[in-house]
Amino acid sequence: MDNLNDLKKIWLAADTGSLPAPAEMMRRIAQYRRSKLLKKAALILAAILLTAIMVSVVFLYKSVMLSTRLGEAGIIAAGLILIITNIGSIGRLYKIKDLSNKEFLGYLEQVKINRRYYYRKTQVAGLSLVSIGILLYLYEGVHQHLLLCIVSYALITIYLLVMWLIVRPRMYRHQAKKLEATINEMKRVANQL
Amino acid sequence: MQPNFEEIYLQYSPQVFRVCMGYINDPALARDLTQETFIAVWQNLSSFRNESKLSTWILRIATNNCLRALEKSKRIVTTDLPFDIPAPHEETQEEKLAFLYKCIAELEETERIIISLVLEDLPQAEIAVILGLTDVNTRVKIHRIKEKLAIKFKRNGQFE
Repeated sequence: MDNLNDLKKIWLAADTGSLPAPAEMMRRIAQYRRSKLLKKAALILAAILLTAIMVSVVFLYKSVMLSTRLGEAGIIAAGLILIITNIGSIGRLYKIKDLSNKEFLGYLEQVKINRRYYYRKTQVAGLSLVSIGILLYLYEGVHQHLLLCIVSYALITIYLLVMWLIVRPRMYRHQAKKLEATINEMKRVANQL
Repeated sequence: MQPNFEEIYLQYSPQVFRVCMGYINDPALARDLTQETFIAVWQNLSSFRNESKLSTWILRIATNNCLRALEKSKRIVTTDLPFDIPAPHEETQEEKLAFLYKCIAELEETERIIISLVLEDLPQAEIAVILGLTDVNTRVKIHRIKEKLAIKFKRNGQFE
């Protein structure tokens, strides 16, 4: 390939006129930033709202049974776990593009470990608290009506079983499979270097 | 002094676009990759410490971004070139460029990045820094890629 200079001339002839103007680029950056933050903020806000509702219920509805108090405490604790873990993940949205390929692979491996920890520990703790919380909280309201009690507990048990046994493992498997594929692809690319 | 983002964008976006185009061979996807690169540049600009040249830093972000765009790269067209058909004599610049992109698209991912940077006239030392390679390794890789491309061009009666 003696005529590299010819190739360079052809290469530089690429039409770059379709690129957005700087002002448009700034608008897109602002929009991107907003949309990323909004998604996370919406989740955090929902968790704060649910926790706040539960806290206000504690003060407004004077429960008499210990089970209800424990249930309220369980749901509030689960809400707090959700808030804290989501606030903690905001920082991870940024500053990953400026990593070398080796650092990025390390980052992905760390994400894998974090997700496994979240699935096995944090999520189990949060979901256990909310499950026990709901089951305990429900009792005071329905225990005087046998049929209502049976139907309520049957429905909530089915819902919790579906969440525990189907939704939760399926979501984790799906995410883990995707992450593993990304890691393998990055390793393949890294091997080319 | 902190560099101005708009000036940086004006100066480097065509270069980044061409490198992305060399990698992905699709103008719309290359524009997406360019946009994602400058979002990352904008996000990380405050942490840029002048430890490397600004162009090196930006192209490192761009090339990393390309290599990580797995979903997009699945859509890259890498069909083999027909090697018995001679090229028409009066080719336009656009046709020549399209042919060049096709040849590059047949290379491995990192080879596409390297040749794009070579065609951008970057010194080998800078390419080595961008890709985290040694100078010797970079020189060897560039030599091999040029050989591969030369075979493709000769097979198609191009640039003789």
